[in-house]
Amino acid sequence: MDILKVNNVSKKYTGHLALDNVSLTIPEGTIYGLLGPNGAGKTTLIRIINHITAPDTGSVEFMGHPLTANDVVNIGYLPEERGLYKKMRVGEQALFFAKLKGLKTKEATAELRKWFDRFGISDWWNRKVEELSKGMAQKVQFIVTVLHRPKLLIFDEPFSGFDPINADLLKNEILRLRDEGATVIFSTHNMESVEALCDNITLINRSHNILSGNVNEIRQEMGKGRYSLSFEGDPQNLLNALGDRVIDHTFTSEVNSPVTNAKLLLKPDATIRQTLALANDAVDIVSFDRALPSMNEIFIQTVKNNEQ
Amino acid sequence: MNNNLGIIVRREFMERVGKKSFIFTTLLMPVLMLLLMAMPALIAIFSTPSDKTVAVNDLSGYVMQVLKNADISHLTFVSVDESADSALSNTDYYGVLSIPADIVEHPSSATLFLHESGSVETESTISELIRQAVRDQRMRAYDIENLNQILEETNVDVNLQTVRIDESGETENTSSAVSFGIGMFMTFLLYMFLLMYGQLVMTSIIEEKNNRVLELVVSSVKPVYLMLGKIFGVGLVAIVQIVIWGVLLCAMSAFLLPALMPAEVTQQVAMFNAGEMATGAEALDPSLLNALSIFSSVGYIAKLFAFILIFLIGGFLFYASIFAAIGSAVDNIQDASQLTSFAVIPIIIGLVVGMTVGNDPNSTLAFWASLIPFTSPMVMLMRVPFGIPSWEIWLSVVVLYASFIAMVWLAAKIYRIGIFMYGKKPSMRDLIRWARYK
Repeated sequence: MDILKVNNVSKKYTGHLALDNVSLTIPEGTIYGLLGPNGAGKTTLIRIINHITAPDTGSVEFMGHPLTANDVVNIGYLPEERGLYKKMRVGEQALFFAKLKGLKTKEATAELRKWFDRFGISDWWNRKVEELSKGMAQKVQFIVTVLHRPKLLIFDEPFSGFDPINADLLKNEILRLRDEGATVIFSTHNMESVEALCDNITLINRSHNILSGNVNEIRQEMGKGRYSLSFEGDPQNLLNALGDRVIDHTFTSEVNSPVTNAKLLLKPDATIRQTLALANDAVDIVSFDRALPSMNEIFIQTVKNNEQ
Repeated sequence: MNNNLGIIVRREFMERVGKKSFIFTTLLMPVLMLLLMAMPALIAIFSTPSDKTVAVNDLSGYVMQVLKNADISHLTFVSVDESADSALSNTDYYGVLSIPADIVEHPSSATLFLHESGSVETESTISELIRQAVRDQRMRAYDIENLNQILEETNVDVNLQTVRIDESGETENTSSAVSFGIGMFMTFLLYMFLLMYGQLVMTSIIEEKNNRVLELVVSSVKPVYLMLGKIFGVGLVAIVQIVIWGVLLCAMSAFLLPALMPAEVTQQVAMFNAGEMATGAEALDPSLLNALSIFSSVGYIAKLFAFILIFLIGGFLFYASIFAAIGSAVDNIQDASQLTSFAVIPIIIGLVVGMTVGNDPNSTLAFWASLIPFTSPMVMLMRVPFGIPSWEIWLSVVVLYASFIAMVWLAAKIYRIGIFMYGKKPSMRDLIRWARYK
């Protein structure tokens, strides 16, 4: 089942189109990457999903019905730019946010205690927020985002400001929440974490959805005909042997080693069996593998193609 | 959702009322205000003017008589025959007054020579005395019998006691001076509150926007409710403060004033309230009696505070909406200063018109200025103590509250766009454009 459907949404701000006919579908229980360069329209889309602003045209469906203000209690949103009331105490403030999401004081306190224990921050309860470091405050913000067990979680750059240890802690919490049934929308510029976490992605550039789909399928699709070959011998022999099967190639040689690494882009009809046989006659093969592009490469390539 | 409004209001309220500074100002402000009111009297008591001797060269022959008989504290007149120049060389004299022989024909020909800069009070005292002398002399020219006795008897002090008859036909002792004082106090109090708490709403919105806590809050609460919550929460703080002051003042008037007032004063106040006037040497100035009568009437004070509350709530909600819209649009207080004038200037105009209206509370200006919501809270509070028809008061209240609703609606439209706008310093035109978005 799809938890969220965005249908042909457009949003205009004073003379500038923030979103132009954007559609996407988010399956329940998955982690969905929302990617795109700065100013592409991601934050606007997130605000629309969060019912903070309304789209000019198009519609948003949440759990099968049109999104309303009442659905906000089923959504948890951790914005990229986030802060807390400085003068309030940590526990008091966490309770304030929990109550805004409809929790009763008693159950909110119990839940909060649990989360504070898990994050090892129980002794912060009575401290003022202004005494916390940035990373500490981020932990509190994360907790108040997920506390009410929302069905849909939206994280905008959740790892910024965290050291690697805490980033890992957070990553595991996000995966755990997904395993418990929550759906996660994950917006970030960190493509490694997209590969590690996301099932599906949408890439937004200049207000348009320019790429949507399953991460593995996209990488397979974009990686068609791409192979990496390491060998000893003359690169020219290899190219001669493969002939017009090769569309594009790059060679890099390793320092203090006779091995050359080749990145090859082959014609779609070239099979691995044939190619390996031909290459095997020309040079001494050390290794051969499919070369799946990283999300980073896909991001850069797709955005560049889109802007041409 | 309405439940969330309550949560926001509560947070805003507790954040401010819990502070030490709130408790401090709430309890200390009345003391400071009393001190401020008592200041002129205290200054008068502690700064007694130095004794001055004025040499008088009286060529007319009768002005000196009046000067000598006048019982003016700190001022003695000595008759001298020398010219002004030689008398001035004697530095014991504060100054030399030269009265020409034809002072009756030319009353403006008297001259006062001084060593140092003069004082307004001394000069006006001396001219008044000369005026008396010339007047008496001119009357004597008519050769009336028993003139001195007649002059003595006709010299009276008048204190006008005003009795206002209200709509129900009941009479009420009023003194315009006292009404003016009370109106002034209420107008100024409201002015202070509107500015102080209005700007508090603005700065606190700017702060929320600046440290981005707003982004977190609007994910659970509609921006409109966040704005309303802030306005209501801060407004509640203002109300609590006014109520505390009202209760303090009522308590003072009920317990402290009777305990402090001398018995005969209490008696006179009672007589005054009964519509009689004490006569004789012991009688107090009616204005003072009027003031005392008001300050010892708990009901009247409570009524005044009820009016303050009604206009404070309406005026605050109206102006706080404007301040909220401005706060949402800017990134920092520096950027706000220009836009703030759109809210501050009408408040100041309200104060100024209010003070002017005190001279004539039933003028056309007074009527219209107490209908226009920008000025009505201040102007109306000035007029209320004078006892204007109640339909005018209620009409003003209805207009004010209706305008508040319209203003909140407009402010909310600006707010929901403004809070997400960073960077560019907005102009009034931007705000109007945002308000037009659907």
